[in-house]
Amino acid sequence: MSVVEEGVDRRLRSIVIVGGGTAGWMAAAALAQVLKGRFGPVRLIESAEIGTVGVGEATIPSLAGFHELLGIDERDFVCRTGATFKLGIEFRDWHRPGTSFFHPFGGYGVGLDPAIFQSFWLRARAEGDTRGLAEWSINNLAAARGRFAPQGQGVGPLSYAYHFDASRYAQYLRAYAEVRGVERIEGRIEAVVHTRPERVDAVRLADGRVIEGDLFLDCSGFHGLLLAGALDEGFEDWSHWLPCDRAVAVGSARAGAFTPFTCSTAMEAGWRWRIPLQQRTGNGYVYCSRDVSDDEATARLLGELDGSAVGEPRLLRFTAGRRKRSWVGNCVALGLAAGFLEPLESTSIHLIQTGIGRLLSLFPDRDFDPVIAREYNRLTALEYERIRDFIILHYSASQRDDTDFWRRVRSMPLPEELAYRQSMFERTGHNVAFEEEAFLLPSWLSIYAGHQVWPARHEPIIDAIPRAELERGLSAMHAAIDQAANSFPGHADYVARLCG
Amino acid sequence: MRGSVRKIVIVGGGSAGWMAAAALSRTPDRQIELIESSDIGVIGVGEATLPTIRFFNNTLGINEIEFVRKTQATFKLGIEFRDWAGPGTSFFHGFSDFGPPIQGVSAHQLWLKTRRPDELLSYQDFSITTAAARAGRFAGPAEDKRSVLGSYSYGYHFDAGLYAAFLRGQAESRGVRRRDARIVDVRLRGEDGFISGVVLDGGEVVEGDLFIDCSGFAGLLIERALGAGFEDWSQWLPCDRAFAVGCESAGSTMPATRATARSAGWQWRIPLQHRIGNGHVFSSRFLSDDEAAATLLANLDGKPIGEPRLLKFTAGRRRKSWIRNCVALGLASGFVEPLESTSIHLIELGLGRLLELFPAQGFEPRLADEYNRQMAQRFESIRDFLILHYCIARGDDGPFWRERRESPIPDTLRAQIELFAATGQVSIRDSGSFGEPSWVSIYFGNRLWPRRYDPLADLIDDTQLRHVLDQRRHIVASAAQALPDHMAFIAAHCRADAA
Repeated sequence: MSVVEEGVDRRLRSIVIVGGGTAGWMAAAALAQVLKGRFGPVRLIESAEIGTVGVGEATIPSLAGFHELLGIDERDFVCRTGATFKLGIEFRDWHRPGTSFFHPFGGYGVGLDPAIFQSFWLRARAEGDTRGLAEWSINNLAAARGRFAPQGQGVGPLSYAYHFDASRYAQYLRAYAEVRGVERIEGRIEAVVHTRPERVDAVRLADGRVIEGDLFLDCSGFHGLLLAGALDEGFEDWSHWLPCDRAVAVGSARAGAFTPFTCSTAMEAGWRWRIPLQQRTGNGYVYCSRDVSDDEATARLLGELDGSAVGEPRLLRFTAGRRKRSWVGNCVALGLAAGFLEPLESTSIHLIQTGIGRLLSLFPDRDFDPVIAREYNRLTALEYERIRDFIILHYSASQRDDTDFWRRVRSMPLPEELAYRQSMFERTGHNVAFEEEAFLLPSWLSIYAGHQVWPARHEPIIDAIPRAELERGLSAMHAAIDQAANSFPGHADYVARLCG
Repeated sequence: MRGSVRKIVIVGGGSAGWMAAAALSRTPDRQIELIESSDIGVIGVGEATLPTIRFFNNTLGINEIEFVRKTQATFKLGIEFRDWAGPGTSFFHGFSDFGPPIQGVSAHQLWLKTRRPDELLSYQDFSITTAAARAGRFAGPAEDKRSVLGSYSYGYHFDAGLYAAFLRGQAESRGVRRRDARIVDVRLRGEDGFISGVVLDGGEVVEGDLFIDCSGFAGLLIERALGAGFEDWSQWLPCDRAFAVGCESAGSTMPATRATARSAGWQWRIPLQHRIGNGHVFSSRFLSDDEAAATLLANLDGKPIGEPRLLKFTAGRRRKSWIRNCVALGLASGFVEPLESTSIHLIELGLGRLLELFPAQGFEPRLADEYNRQMAQRFESIRDFLILHYCIARGDDGPFWRERRESPIPDTLRAQIELFAATGQVSIRDSGSFGEPSWVSIYFGNRLWPRRYDPLADLIDDTQLRHVLDQRRHIVASAAQALPDHMAFIAAHCRADAA
């Protein structure tokens, strides 16, 4: 058997992306850059009539890898999209009203294995050290002081992400993709042509044009035109774990210097985001419609803004969960068409990015061998579930009991893996890692600690170290972090100098 | 929950027992006693390992040269599989990859694209360990991880009895007490079923807080006393016996283990400094003991040393290897045939997890749950990797090999093979176990060619790709030639004292 049968070229001849927005243009940009037109044209269909969902959008550090693939220069990107830097997320009122904790990127300590740091710190804490977990994070110290730098003396490069306006990001990537040959087709899709099961032949636009393709990427958002619509792929509903089903979003005028972190504040029936951009602030209230009406939620959001509202609040409806399969036949769903998890840990863009990465590493030909889709779907399901569990923990470990919403989310039965890992941490101090984990040990630790979930023991790997030595090591580390954070410029100054 | 662990009792010597004693003796403030009977032979003869043993030895502060000299060790760059893909065939599973990816496309995919139809195994030209082993050459990897000579790893072949003795010296010097006795009974506490002590043949009772069962297949504690139960894998791995015998070495030695397919199993050849360890692993449903022994004796490099010894086993693992205050290691926790030299590796893993989850502040049951979960995952991924060797092999077309090809395999493995056959992509289910180059070695070695190569390989300019691959081939070949002869390397650095 030869690798490619003689004379039969089964390579893709065209790719059609259905929907613009972040998912569509990220896919277009990546395919243009990687494929260089060798698998036929890449065409993207979007309608100017249909608004994109993105407002202020926050990301996680993995995005740097995507930009590296595209060869995007950070300065160009930050300045042209009005982006700001993000060192982590502050969670206000989540544990109880009046409390605050921080989930920093990049973990804790300097140059220590995360499991070793965790043991170190848990032991020091058990022996009376009162310094909180956040004290050991350069990202947290810099964020708390409103400072930012991409690296620091004695702490190396920082792990950071961005806040940006998602529609400006989509425009930015659109320009990138169009320069590299992606053809944008303006039009509204009226019908999906599919003559065989699990195969999309073409889409028909309102003006009668028919766009055929070998591979279709469904980036049509919540509509799910291809996968959910035409191919009727089922949805795995997670709303019993993540009951928030609506969000109201609005921009506001910037008040003061922008913070180098996202702020998430727990509310009576959900939580509120605050995403600082260069020119303004993105805000949104994610809530459960069972507990609060749209009008009340809007009023609550508007009442909490720290600057005057810009434009009208927009309402979004959703259901937490994912498509049972996000790759079916010749159609791959990315972004909201593949699934929805509330943006509590800013994972929407990350999931688009890893979807594109998986598509490239399992790149199909026209045979669309189902084993390829099966592997893609297996990995996608695992990744979604791990992130889902991480988000659920934010709710389930809370001690708020001021509303019916919080009492419900605190007492709901947990997914099996989450229940396992939480009880493992509580009883043994062991932080379990499963396959395809997007958030690593220090991230889980920050949420446990923020919710005062303390283990009954620490792992004994560091027990042989004498107390004084432990003390010296921790103090030296703390001094280095503290000093580095103080040496950073203010976040706004850093951005101003970068884009000046 | 009970109080802290002050006294650890290890039941059984051998590799598992003394590895445990040496590793646990480094934890502070603990009394350790190891009970072994000098009338019970240890199973280990020539033993081959994975590279991870170097990490284990390092954490024990072992000096490599001293260790090699005292255990008659030689170096191992991989395994040569003979006759698996059909009589007269040979392929390698080396401890290195096939070169770095180009534009994200794996090296084996690049080779697939550029190979000529008559080139079956030329992907091996990109493996430095394969090239070096075939040339009988060895040296430790260079510091620079980016260079070909810095991008591989190695393990050892050694005499397992000597390794146990070496570790015994280490452990005893750190206060481990050894008792020479047989265990005749195990005492359980009435209230919670924990092991309170083991009764020796002299009637004495040895008490302890934590018991490590290294008693081999028998599982004196974990099975006989605690009834862990055994998950039988013999429908997938039907070999249930082995004859083992040493033989005289006929001079120069390749730094690799050899596994040769036989009519109802396979034969190992493990070169030590002073002799060669050999064994014939077979299925008793297809071959009599007499025939198996005869086959082994007919296929030795030199004169046999002593009589072949028969071992009986069943592939599988204990359903739980940590129950209450007892942790089983080595054969007491499970057995898979030594086709990929994983026995010592599984002991290392068990000890690593035990130290991480050590019940220093009491026997919280979740510790055992997590230990058992992780070990089950590791055992199963190794099991599947071994089953792969059989289910895609051709062997000799006799009934044993026909049955292996036609028998059902675990669903996860089937999905992995189907993905590779369709795309050449390796699906890794356990990131802590064998990686992509290992899977590719077995797939390609058995002539399982994917129906296509990675389409993204077409993004690389063809002429340039061929040029880069030619260059890599050349660099690997000359790097291998630059290494010293394996036996000369040993003679210069770490020759064992005369046996």
